[in-house]
Amino acid sequence: MRPRLTSASRSPSARLRRTGYLFTLPGLAFLALFLAYPLLYNAWTSVHDVGLSGLLGGATRFNGLANYRATVADPDFWHAARLSVVFTVGSLLFQFTIGFALALFFARPFPLNGLLRSLLLVAWLLPPVVSGTLFRWMLDGESGAYNALLRAVGPDTLARDWLIDPGTALAGVVFANVWVGVPFNMLLLLVGLHTIDPELHEAAAIDGASAWQRLRWITLPLMRPVSVTVLLLGLVYTFKVFDIIFVMTGGGPVDATSVLSLYVYEVFFRFFRFGEGAAAGVLLLVVPLLAGIGYVRRLRREEREEGAV
Amino acid sequence: MKPARRPWLLTATATLITAAFLLPVYWMLNTSLTEPDRILGESPRWIPAPLTTENYSAALDDDALVQALFNSLVISCGVVALTLLFGVPLSYALARVRMRGSGTMVLALLVAQLPPSIVLAAPLFILERRAGIDDTYLGLIAADTTLTLPFAVIVLRPVLRGVPRELEEAALVDGCGLVGVLLRIVLPLMVPGLVAVAGLSFLIGWGEFVFGLTLAKEPGVQPVTVLLNSFVGQHGTAWGALMATAAVVCVPVVCVFAIFQRFIVGGLTAGSIKS
Repeated sequence: MRPRLTSASRSPSARLRRTGYLFTLPGLAFLALFLAYPLLYNAWTSVHDVGLSGLLGGATRFNGLANYRATVADPDFWHAARLSVVFTVGSLLFQFTIGFALALFFARPFPLNGLLRSLLLVAWLLPPVVSGTLFRWMLDGESGAYNALLRAVGPDTLARDWLIDPGTALAGVVFANVWVGVPFNMLLLLVGLHTIDPELHEAAAIDGASAWQRLRWITLPLMRPVSVTVLLLGLVYTFKVFDIIFVMTGGGPVDATSVLSLYVYEVFFRFFRFGEGAAAGVLLLVVPLLAGIGYVRRLRREEREEGAV
Repeated sequence: MKPARRPWLLTATATLITAAFLLPVYWMLNTSLTEPDRILGESPRWIPAPLTTENYSAALDDDALVQALFNSLVISCGVVALTLLFGVPLSYALARVRMRGSGTMVLALLVAQLPPSIVLAAPLFILERRAGIDDTYLGLIAADTTLTLPFAVIVLRPVLRGVPRELEEAALVDGCGLVGVLLRIVLPLMVPGLVAVAGLSFLIGWGEFVFGLTLAKEPGVQPVTVLLNSFVGQHGTAWGALMATAAVVCVPVVCVFAIFQRFIVGGLTAGSIKS
């Protein structure tokens, strides 16, 4: 009988297991120290009265849910929550739809396909601060390139100070964020498209199905699981976004783009109201956690289905 | 899918789409190469003529930028080193050794990717200051590695599972310990996965902003992303120098991606769809 890495019955495997635990130790200890402990500490801070003196280890006082009450009573918090919802839904809607359309396009073989696809991905890999700076310039009222294009194709009134006008600033940052997200959506959806058996399309085509019918009745239903996964991932990523908005508008004008992550930054790092900032931070975890639970449940189901095959 | 009837027509369309999509990147280069007094105005110039490198020399003349680029390089390399050092043994053990709790550990690593950076930055700001590692490379490298390490394990674990088990078992029979198996058999086989993780960790470290903004006040350690942001605030309309600075910040990104492209795309999709 061959020795098996996974069998529990032999004594060498007991040694293996011990070494296995040792292998996990440094990484897990690191994450415990720099990720888990800080998050727990944040939860602790959220139920204490901690101001600037808390930074130096000064006196802190347990104050129950006072920080949460103060946060929930703050109209700015709800304003930020609404903006987060609009920002997230808007970004997801456009980046997924455009990403899907591009994936369908790039799923067909043609010369230079790989090269062009990689070039598109560059948009996703640029540091968000760089993308934010670029779009600040592109959307500039007077000299921005997008406004020049708008003036060229339509009436002059189309051109505007996108990021300075409170009515359009959020649309401006969504636009930039969609630009960043499209290539990633396209990439993941392409992987999904490639798993569809081409014979299905061929058989349907022989039976006289039009391209639209094949998309509607073969591609879309088969892409459903991948699409849900991509949207859940997108939800987590988009809800996190801080840098691109911070660089483009700093949350302004007049809080028009101050989403929840910027709200937490304001309270915690500008006003040093650590307790309330921590409470807002804990509340900020709710949406990603829910999305994460959905994502993990999907993974579990996929693994089970694969195991059954 | 069957080959399209007119593939070059598709290529032409795809080229147009890509060009339109990447207009902001072209515009960055265009502006950065245009003479400063020709940049502003209602009719933008689509081609930088006459060409000038003035903006670049102005940007690079600033010692602060050079220092910040160096800081980002140190931080990103530190992030790569720490990620591989912790990530390789961790993902190997989780892929290969049947241990109690390994399912929970994988789950924990997935959950670890959920919190928004700003939520982690808040307590780290207090804790790092108390520990005396605020305003240090170490403090920033450690914070950034909380982003890369969970991701690295999620990418590497399936790669490791793809290594034929028979090879390791043969080596074990020959008296190699787990460390020997990892170093001599597994590591050489997982080079593509390692390259993908190293490349992506570098890019994440290079582009990171939230921790740089909140955990470092000292220009001697601040990453270049934070400096670029403060430039945007200070020289609001000096777009030539700003775009030159942005372009300089992009150089390592484009280099890393050009070299590691194949690996990175593979690693990305492996990490997101399957784990």
